[in-house]
Amino acid sequence: MSEDVGQQREVPINRAGMTRREFLRLTGGVIVLFALAPAAEPGTEGQPGPDSAEDLNAWLRIQPDGRVTIFAPAPEVGQGLRTSLAQMAAEELRAPVSCVEVVLGDTARAPRLAPDPDQPTLSAVGMRVRAAAAEARELLAAMAAEKWDVSRELVKLDGGQVVLLPRPGTAVSIGELIGGRRFVRRLGRPTPLTPPSEHQIIGESIARLDGPAIVRGQARYVGDVLLPNMAYAKLLRPPCLGARLVRADTRAASAQPGVIAVVHEGDLIAVVASRPNLAEKATRHIQATWEEGAHPEMSTLYQGLRASAELAEPARQQGDVEAALAGARRGYSASYRAAFIAHAPIEPHGAVATTEGATVVVYASTERPFAHREGVAEALGLRASQVRVITTAVGGAFGGKDGPEISVQAARLARAVGRPVMLTQSREEELTWNYFRPAALIDVRCGVGETGGIIAWDCDVFNCGARGAWPPYGFPHRRLRSYRCNAALRQGPWRGAGGPANAFAREVHLDHIASELGEDPIDFRLRHLSDRRMIRAIQAVAERYGWRVHRPPTGLGVGFACARDGGSCVAEIAEVEVERLSGQVCVRRVVVAQDSGLVVNPDNLRNQIEGAVVMGLGFTLREAVRYEQGRVLTRSFASYPILTFRDVPRIDILLPASRDLPPNGDGTPALYAIPAAVANAVFDAVGARVRELPLPPASIRAAANR
Amino acid sequence: MASQSEGIQIRVNGSLCQLEVDSSRSLLSVLRTELRLTGTKYGCGAGECGACTVLVDGEAVRSCIFPAGHAHGRTVTTIEGLAQGGRLHPVQEAFLEAQAFQCGYCTPGMIMGAVSLLRKEPNPTELEIRRALADHLCRCGVYPRIIRAVQLAAAKMSK
Repeated sequence: MSEDVGQQREVPINRAGMTRREFLRLTGGVIVLFALAPAAEPGTEGQPGPDSAEDLNAWLRIQPDGRVTIFAPAPEVGQGLRTSLAQMAAEELRAPVSCVEVVLGDTARAPRLAPDPDQPTLSAVGMRVRAAAAEARELLAAMAAEKWDVSRELVKLDGGQVVLLPRPGTAVSIGELIGGRRFVRRLGRPTPLTPPSEHQIIGESIARLDGPAIVRGQARYVGDVLLPNMAYAKLLRPPCLGARLVRADTRAASAQPGVIAVVHEGDLIAVVASRPNLAEKATRHIQATWEEGAHPEMSTLYQGLRASAELAEPARQQGDVEAALAGARRGYSASYRAAFIAHAPIEPHGAVATTEGATVVVYASTERPFAHREGVAEALGLRASQVRVITTAVGGAFGGKDGPEISVQAARLARAVGRPVMLTQSREEELTWNYFRPAALIDVRCGVGETGGIIAWDCDVFNCGARGAWPPYGFPHRRLRSYRCNAALRQGPWRGAGGPANAFAREVHLDHIASELGEDPIDFRLRHLSDRRMIRAIQAVAERYGWRVHRPPTGLGVGFACARDGGSCVAEIAEVEVERLSGQVCVRRVVVAQDSGLVVNPDNLRNQIEGAVVMGLGFTLREAVRYEQGRVLTRSFASYPILTFRDVPRIDILLPASRDLPPNGDGTPALYAIPAAVANAVFDAVGARVRELPLPPASIRAAANR
Repeated sequence: MASQSEGIQIRVNGSLCQLEVDSSRSLLSVLRTELRLTGTKYGCGAGECGACTVLVDGEAVRSCIFPAGHAHGRTVTTIEGLAQGGRLHPVQEAFLEAQAFQCGYCTPGMIMGAVSLLRKEPNPTELEIRRALADHLCRCGVYPRIIRAVQLAAAKMSK
């Protein structure tokens, strides 16, 4: 290279040993620590053992010059967390957002927080950040009150200063107040949060803080990490799912250009080379013998789920479902299915690992840095404190990067070759070897009573888990049973887990019953609902679309669905056009009303909801992992088609907010209702009642032309 | 395909680069690994997602399937070369204004695709934008905002 083209800073090696403890002891300032909430069970938060020294648990630090740093366990995965957390801290400290720095997803610098599937990250992390910032605010206010010998009520924080209210113009900077000393406060007792009526920064559509780096190509993802002496690894993959490596001759591969080592440790076999392309080429020279196991077949997927089912948790019930079903005036039963789908982030999985003495540092692309830390520690026989996971920018995850496998593989390879190793997946690997969203089979039995209302609802959920399956409606007799099954493919966490599949089954079934009874689908739901937030969301979406007044022209259909997820209520209307000859569905318009409690950043929440609608349309219309004889067939974007610019409908979003509730806002709830809204619209358009995701064009065509 | 190390000369973001690399290697790999221009992303390696889009002599190409040797003697512009004198390109500004990203991974390729489109068609209709960018994938689903960003950029550039 003759000239300096875009010289890049080398990433300094951050020793795992450079702990929060050292970091926080360097200088003075205000530090607000994590502490167990009195009601929390031991071990659910904070970490027991040698790592639990209290100064490792800082949420927030104010430096002597007044700059604020937040430490949070969750990373930025595109959900705008960095910006939302900065807004929440700035609000409580009455400081400009620009003076808040946010450190995300670094296990050596952030407190550990046990993931809670029922609480969105924004709420779980955000409410703690707010509490920490409020605690710091109260401390600073008390210090200023003491300095001026006045009561707390007579001082307030404003713009990075503390001001004396009775004497405008009298103020002291936070830096001056701190005066180089060190103050430590512990969270635990309730600190007053700023009430919503006084919010000035929360609720503002502040632009993403990482936006400028993103549009300049400077956001640093895991594949952009460069460590001195770093090598590149490529795994040798088995010929089919479930195959076991019997033996391998690695001599020819070792002799290939650029090859540093061929690592073969138990189940792990990989080439480490000086360049990524050379590592990949050399894997083809490994002579490997594999023993193929059972070959999963897609054709028997749903039979297999039913045949292997075991009750996963005790049935949840209310009333006496069997008796109510037996006594019902009319009964409606049906089965619903949803295919395996792939997370398919545009950034495939990757990790960079380096070992230094007894410690390991991993640069990871994940939503769960602490899970990666623990996975690496376990695999390498280290204590968790000997592993540091630094989360880079994440190029999409959707639950697919929770599992620590790739970080473990990179760490094992780095240890084996004694130098930093980058391990990344190709698109084919990404779509073949990672876990998928569980396929789902859902049976619904429902009974309607004398007055035409639903009196009994019995739901059996196979394989996808019970999330979102308990009906939000006031049916007097309800039962939910969730079954664990032997799934043919590897499966794991996914945005909302089984929620979208469960909502699909319920909302299509309700639509079917309403139609059989000759009732309006929205009125039919409203007669079973008492949740005021849900009713408000439904009314908002119906009004915006014009449900009562607007009938789409022939060939078009309109469908409704609603759902509850955690603290959010969502209602959606989809308008579709169905091509009778092909059964192809074109979604023209989607209207969403989502109440997610307090809205921290409305534009960001809209962005999340728009994205969820688009992703949801993908698995409603066409996404399915296909496999045959143990081979995944959908190994490229050509065979696993996600939604594109061509398919995107007009999307209207309404945000009826409940400001007194925690901020639950992310895109997940909007994913729940979209499949059923579209399926119900297809029925409205051509009379095809489809109970399978993705909606098979052949079934639509057949039903439409019947 | 016979592959061997040979001298390749490419003008990248205004600077002349002399490279000794296997000329069959992808331009993406050479940009990222040899020149450390990591703004251009790998998404699929098959020209199907657009994350690796760069301009070669002003034309958008998929650098993951474009052999480095084919760029010999030509001009390559990557996302890093778009801002001039510290000032963002109007398309970059428009992406910020419309907040047209979530995870940001596809964004550099989207921006390069949009720059290429607006060079050919300074005032595209919405349908033309959808068609021109149809092979750019965004898994976060930010498409509606990207369409708006391209419209905004077109308006800025026609001023």
